[in-house]
Amino acid sequence: MRTADEDRFFRRLRTALGHAPDVSRDAKHLFAQGPSAEDLQMLDRIDRRSKADRQTLLERLIEAGKPINLRVISVPDLAAACSAVVAVVGEKEPEWGESKSVAAWRHPLVDRLGLEEALARLQVPLRITEPIDPNAGRECDQAERERQLAGIIASFIGVTAADFCMADTATLVMRNRPGQPRSVALVPSIHVAVITLDQVVADMKELFALLRWDERYRPEGLSNYMSFISGPSKTADIEATMVHGAHGPREVHLFVITELTG
Amino acid sequence: MSDISTEKYVEEAKRGIADPVLRKALSSLQDRFGRGTAEAYRKLPEGPDLRLKAHEIRERAIENLDVLLETLTAKIRQNGGHVFFAATAKDAVDYCLEVARRNRVRLVVKGKSMVTEEIGLNPALEAAGVEVVETDLGEYIIQLAGEKPSHIIAPAIHKTRNEIADLFVKKLGIRRTTDPPELTQAARKALREKFLAADMGTSGVNMACAESGHITTVSNEGNIRMATTLPRVHVAFMGMERIVASLDEYEIILRLLCRGAAAQTMGTYASYIGGPRRPGDSDGPDEFHLVVIDNGRSRILADPQFREMLCCVRCAACLNVCPVYGKIGGHSYGFAYSGPVGAVVTPLLTGINRAKDLCCGETLCGACMDACSMNIDLPRMLLALREKLAYGDANWQVEPAGRAEGLAYRGWSWLIRSRRLYELVLKLAAAGQRLLPQKKGLIRRLPPPVQGWTRSRDLHPLVKETFMERWRKRK
Repeated sequence: MRTADEDRFFRRLRTALGHAPDVSRDAKHLFAQGPSAEDLQMLDRIDRRSKADRQTLLERLIEAGKPINLRVISVPDLAAACSAVVAVVGEKEPEWGESKSVAAWRHPLVDRLGLEEALARLQVPLRITEPIDPNAGRECDQAERERQLAGIIASFIGVTAADFCMADTATLVMRNRPGQPRSVALVPSIHVAVITLDQVVADMKELFALLRWDERYRPEGLSNYMSFISGPSKTADIEATMVHGAHGPREVHLFVITELTG
Repeated sequence: MSDISTEKYVEEAKRGIADPVLRKALSSLQDRFGRGTAEAYRKLPEGPDLRLKAHEIRERAIENLDVLLETLTAKIRQNGGHVFFAATAKDAVDYCLEVARRNRVRLVVKGKSMVTEEIGLNPALEAAGVEVVETDLGEYIIQLAGEKPSHIIAPAIHKTRNEIADLFVKKLGIRRTTDPPELTQAARKALREKFLAADMGTSGVNMACAESGHITTVSNEGNIRMATTLPRVHVAFMGMERIVASLDEYEIILRLLCRGAAAQTMGTYASYIGGPRRPGDSDGPDEFHLVVIDNGRSRILADPQFREMLCCVRCAACLNVCPVYGKIGGHSYGFAYSGPVGAVVTPLLTGINRAKDLCCGETLCGACMDACSMNIDLPRMLLALREKLAYGDANWQVEPAGRAEGLAYRGWSWLIRSRRLYELVLKLAAAGQRLLPQKKGLIRRLPPPVQGWTRSRDLHPLVKETFMERWRKRK
């Protein structure tokens, strides 16, 4: 893969740094080979977090959501989460077309909400984004992806879950997986996310400690595309006036289910 | 490389100062972000000193740039991405053109990126028959107006809502409105069509992390997320210095970047991109290319006096406090980077002699260093540049200042070493100044060759009795 240009680039770099131009230097010392004492302490703290601690984190999350116009609602269970989502679908009007439709991830938590039935009562179609069959062949694969994207574009609300939520900055964290396209949280005018209380972490430090050193998350790591989403899309490019909905969703609603573990 | 007009600094600065609309916009921007950022640093759990830690992290990263870039590259290639190393602006642009040609690209949507301004990507793509659309609202406005960004984070800060309204009526055919939400909606609608139709998306890189093998982009609008999700091809452009070793270091840099850029605790969207779409994924580009750009950075790296400049993350906090930028605006700096960061980095990238007015125009007040999210000593480097301009420097091909200037300073240094001679000259000057035109007790014009001092201000005359004389009398 390395070309002569690339070698020259690195030779110039090493020369500028005062090293031998042709010798690749060892990288090991720059990267931690295991968790630090601080990391371990943090992981331990996360593991032992009590229900009351989690409730405090949730309150922090709700507060952090306010200034960025992220609506954080705590709901007790799946049924309450489902009615909350359905209420948003009923209340809001589509931005681009006339008819209402909703796109949602194929995701264990979203599946358990029972949205399909509830939305059918409102006569609002639900489009689930199924994983693409990697063995279907290139053309099939592309046709299916285009069909799925068209559905997402036609939907005015996108429903997703998330991997984590950072309380201090009100940030949803999503790692990329088949069946969970990031456009569902991006292209529709309104993004609705559902998480469980145990997915709330304090801050980025905790998040990275988990992703780097907790065996439950480490194998997947950050995936090939990890998203942080903190509230609705915004801009202040016209005379520094804050406007929501520049390109991404104009509204984000986050429902946190308190009596359920993920 | 893109258009460079650093020679017009004085002319453009005069124009900026004379523009009341620009001055008002800049002053409200500085009022808001300058103070907001200082407050945001104070509110950090670690306090503003976290910037010192960030500086150490960035310095260590720069010292290990070769190793970090190799690690990042190996990871991205392992994940099916392409990495290209561009020695010059032209190499970077040519590579992108080749990718565009191979993929039969007709429409490119761009996320805001100063490095693509630096290398002049847009004109090259347009010359190749590719339509390029800037998607950051501010960049979109100035692209429609055929102008250049005047601020790193708020590129259209020099435009009023009335100007934008006229522009949108003309270019987008909308009903005239000066309401920012309505104007934003008009751009949202127009750009949504572009996002859905584009074949290629381009972006910059706010920071890469070697350990995890990701580049990250941060935006509030979501345009970069769109541009890196919907088109078939994503090309990311990265100044070679934009990398840190590990995620715990990255965490500190990101927190400071968001505070420095917009006094935010977190930008709305941060994306960690490690490669193209994987089998089974519904969206994401089929191809991911990372272009790592030198374009003069290795020369900065090799000079211990200026290496520190590579710690910069282009958050633009220095623009929001600089008294000079606040009066003259970003266009005066004549290149992609304006304000204090531009005053140092532009001469280093485009030629010190050519851009000499930029570093001489700053006041050395130190506000930029206090505001810098990475605590970079910009005033020190401004002085180092001026030193090179005075004495010349073969490594940087700097011609020393003219013989007359050298002689004048030597004369001055000789004069001030003799107290009596100095006082005699002061006395003569105090007597002579009566011949100069005065108004309200101020001198209006000095004679040649020092007439420049009074070109835009009046001078206080020399006092009849100097401080030293009064001091002696007191005893």
